[in-house]
Amino acid sequence: MIQTVFSVSLALWLLALAFSPGADAATVITGIVRAQSGHPVPGLALLEKGEIHNNRWDRGTLVDTSGRFRIELVEGGQYGLHVYASGYIYKPNAVKVETGKTLDIEVVLVPEPTRANDPVIKRVEFVPSEKSKGTATIIRMEVADPNGILGPQVLAFDAATGRTFAMTPPRWVWSLKSNYPDGVYQLEIDTSKAPTDPRDWHFVVADHKCNTTDILSFPHEPKPPQVIRP
Amino acid sequence: MILAIALVLIAMVSAEHAPAGAHAGSLAALVAKGEQWWKSSPDPRDPVACATCHYDPDETRGWAASFPKYRPLPPPEGRVMTLLQANVEAVQRHYGLPDAEQPALAITAYLTSRGSGMPVSPGIVAGQPVFESRLRVLAQSVRRGERLYTRRCRSCHDAGVVAPAALLFPHVVDGQVESLERFLERHRPDLPPLGWNAQSSADIIAFLKSKLAGRQVGGSP
Repeated sequence: MIQTVFSVSLALWLLALAFSPGADAATVITGIVRAQSGHPVPGLALLEKGEIHNNRWDRGTLVDTSGRFRIELVEGGQYGLHVYASGYIYKPNAVKVETGKTLDIEVVLVPEPTRANDPVIKRVEFVPSEKSKGTATIIRMEVADPNGILGPQVLAFDAATGRTFAMTPPRWVWSLKSNYPDGVYQLEIDTSKAPTDPRDWHFVVADHKCNTTDILSFPHEPKPPQVIRP
Repeated sequence: MILAIALVLIAMVSAEHAPAGAHAGSLAALVAKGEQWWKSSPDPRDPVACATCHYDPDETRGWAASFPKYRPLPPPEGRVMTLLQANVEAVQRHYGLPDAEQPALAITAYLTSRGSGMPVSPGIVAGQPVFESRLRVLAQSVRRGERLYTRRCRSCHDAGVVAPAALLFPHVVDGQVESLERFLERHRPDLPPLGWNAQSSADIIAFLKSKLAGRQVGGSP
């Protein structure tokens, strides 16, 4: 009798755990990216953890050709969601996600009326770090801005790990609001456990006025940017 | 005779439609100027204007009602700002204008007119997520503002009585359009100035607006 009561209680407890709201439910930001004209736009959705514009980059994902994206998070909270697409002004959104819930949002992007003011990615290269004897890779990206108003958004995204990084500027910058220098930005990647594949890496740069480069994906050969007609 | 009657009728209609004060047209002109600044960039080489990204009228309608609020600028620049102060920062950054006060005041008048009738709700924009961390910073600002108000203003003005006047800005005085920030700056020349674009001005205005939650932007005090 005692054994039966115990078994039934255990089963009920396990059932309650399995079906309790939020139990083991993923914390997710999902959404669709469209142009003003309504058609879906592929690109990148990158996250800052905490208050928006704090430059603490966290997760990210590719936005597919149907404009859809999905980012699974370790925990809920406040995030800065930045969406980038080639030919469009990037869109920042401050969002709040509850742990165990899915936040679904729609992002509408506006085409850049001119590309003359955009930052330019001149080249990207992956080189083994000499200091770390093959356990690290250095990514170097040369960036210039026609107006000298680069900001901290010199970004690298690794689709293999879902991680976003702000690359290190060529010289010390006092404030995130300062104009960042033109030159070679760097990022050191730990490859001691697994090598990194350049095919997984995507790059984008935005200046202080939101002028945004095209997304540079493998083989990382920059092309002249095009104006997208609305 | 007909001409005389017509002139009298025109005068009557004009008097009826003229807002109080001889300079009320100046505020309308400022709103129109603000719309112009909002919709077109002063730099032909860089045609991105405020309205390029903030094109949805429903998005901007609640902005005036939501200030003062925490503006999440890159740290450590983020702080509680009035709508005018936020516009100054945006005009400087996006339009590259070193002297941004007049364009920002015009944009403030435009956005305030756009938000007419919206309930005052400092820190909260209808339809946008509410961030507790930002509300906490705003609450600190309100407390600082209350202390400042006590030191500078309370001997003559009861806060509950004077706060509704904050809804009347920007306003026209002697043909000049004036922001609440500038009014507060010059109001007590015997004391150290607040600084129209400083945190202290935002704090006092945050304190006054905290007493107005639920009232309508552009409504009578």
